[in-house]
Amino acid sequence: MNRVLIVDDDVQLCRLLSERLATEGFTIEAVHDGVRGLERALSAEHALVILDLMLPGVGGLDVLKRLRMKSPVPVLILTARGEDVDRILGLEIGADDYVPKPFNPRELVARIRAILRRTAHSSSTSSPLTAGDLRLDPHSREASLSGVLLKLTSIEFTLLESLMRQAGQIVSREQLTESVLGRKLGPFDRVIDVHVSNIRKKLGASEHSQRIKSIRGSGYLFAMRAES
Amino acid sequence: MSLTHRSLLVKIFLWFWATVLITAAASVITFWVRAHSSPYQWHASVIETTRISGETAIQTYEQSGPVAAARYMVQLEHRNLQNPCLFDQSHNVLAGRNCDALADMLPNLTEPGVPDFGVRFGVARVALKLRGASGREYVFAAEVPAGVPPGRPRGPRMTRLGYALQWAVALIVSGSICYLLTRYLTAPIFRLREAAHQLASGDLSARANSRISPRHDELGDLVRDFDTMAARIEDLVSRQRQLISDVSHELRSPLGRLNVALDLARQRKGDDPAFDQAEQDTALLNEMIGRLLTIAKLDVSARDVPMVQVDLSELLHQIVCNANFESHPNENRVTLTVESEVFVLGNPELLHSAIENVVRNAIHYTEPGTQVEIVLQHDAAHSSARIQIRDHGPGLPEAELTNIFRPFYRVAAARDRQSGGTGLGLAISDRVIRTHGGTIIARNAVPKGLLIEILLPEQAVGTPVPHL
Repeated sequence: MNRVLIVDDDVQLCRLLSERLATEGFTIEAVHDGVRGLERALSAEHALVILDLMLPGVGGLDVLKRLRMKSPVPVLILTARGEDVDRILGLEIGADDYVPKPFNPRELVARIRAILRRTAHSSSTSSPLTAGDLRLDPHSREASLSGVLLKLTSIEFTLLESLMRQAGQIVSREQLTESVLGRKLGPFDRVIDVHVSNIRKKLGASEHSQRIKSIRGSGYLFAMRAES
Repeated sequence: MSLTHRSLLVKIFLWFWATVLITAAASVITFWVRAHSSPYQWHASVIETTRISGETAIQTYEQSGPVAAARYMVQLEHRNLQNPCLFDQSHNVLAGRNCDALADMLPNLTEPGVPDFGVRFGVARVALKLRGASGREYVFAAEVPAGVPPGRPRGPRMTRLGYALQWAVALIVSGSICYLLTRYLTAPIFRLREAAHQLASGDLSARANSRISPRHDELGDLVRDFDTMAARIEDLVSRQRQLISDVSHELRSPLGRLNVALDLARQRKGDDPAFDQAEQDTALLNEMIGRLLTIAKLDVSARDVPMVQVDLSELLHQIVCNANFESHPNENRVTLTVESEVFVLGNPELLHSAIENVVRNAIHYTEPGTQVEIVLQHDAAHSSARIQIRDHGPGLPEAELTNIFRPFYRVAAARDRQSGGTGLGLAISDRVIRTHGGTIIARNAVPKGLLIEILLPEQAVGTPVPHL
């Protein structure tokens, strides 16, 4: 499935992007306002949503918030450089990654491919991972805690999966950025940290939220055993 | 607020109080002095009594002789006139005892009927020139006890405690009235000052009026004018911010489209150096817009920059790694010496770009084969972190050293253009460092090269700051 939804009020940019991404084999559907964007994003017809945060009417952050209530579809947000607050907020609400505007189309394509590769990768069958009452099923990409389904986004699932696969080892932020986001870690890149903090929040008060430990200056570690 | 900050209040209060006290003291003294001089009416009646007594004495003397006059004098002494004396024209005593005590008044007398009046040892003394029925001139003088106006007995004397109480009450009452008056006058001034202070430190919603009950005097007008001004400034600044964000959006949209269009064109027409140039320039334009926005934001809303604890050695290490990786992967052109670990309170992204700009500049100018040296020290004297970035390039003419921090300033156009620099790097560094309360200066190194020194105030030990 190579359908990509782009929600951006810049009509001409959407037209150019459709043309450009078509050469890479993607089918683009462009929508220019938030309400319609949310409607289309919820249709589950797209492999990925590219969402501009600066939208007239219902803003990008609102669209994202409402989308995340119902759908784990990967979301790439477009933010103008300097709007760091919006970017972090977007990631906290559940965006997978961000691309600063104006962007180089080649970089955008690389990001899209990285996210899609990750989603595709999951279809490979591998045995479920468990830690206590936390259970990850890479096949169905579902995580559950004490039998209750956790609403993890696609990126959060991948991140938790890679931490659990290397449980007991420190996984550096560089490694995580490359394996989960498919790109190099930037100088003030907090994307991974925001995702980790989102996972901790979703694990709630359970012992597992304590099991993802921050190792200052190096990275994160999924503890083998929960400490009492 | 400490006392020194309220010197206006103290000054006005003290002046008011002093004025009240001095006025009170002056009126007390006046009454006291007047009590010891003669109230006017009493004065007149004393003179009148003396005159009538004098005329009677002269009449008695002329008609009945000195003995009768002397007897009359004794009568007068019983009627409150002490020591009456009658003199002739040449001041010889005609009647009365102990007249020498009054002799000193006699030369002062000139005209008949014009009395000489004086107070001596609490006793009023009167001398009069009078003309008898025979036409001869006489002088009559007498003493009248003063201070005890006839018929008014003196009240009981006040005790010391009484005086102290009286003064204490006077002090407290006058003091509190003066204090209230002073407060009334200075309170709006302090509120104004507080509001102005808040406004200056960036809280544009600060108003003075909200905390003052409406007054209709000049101070009230001043407060209202201040608030009008503050509202206007807030409006202007918020419009400025809106403009910045609009510019960001509006300028970048065409730039974004240009990027995509260029990429499409490259796909269709194949690689062409012209596309590379166009792409470089759009990247440069984007960079410049970003930097201009940074400058504008720092100028307008430096207060809103989020600050956290920053480990400078870690930050510098990162910058050096990036710089070495980007410039020449095989040779380390930048070296870092950390003499001591220093933490500062700051915004890591801004500090990173500020220092990185300086380092990039240094890499650009240092001679091939030489290194850019970065030193991080702790400056105990200024309780600051000192970062020195030194290159081995040509340095700068002394006159240019301060100019390089100005936006779009270029020392030598020909030399600088090729660098592809935005001309904004050091201007940003300067603003960022100043936003952090630090200083940045450039000076020429010996024997040659440019040394840029950044001083950043060290974070006070134990300040609780969230670590990102």
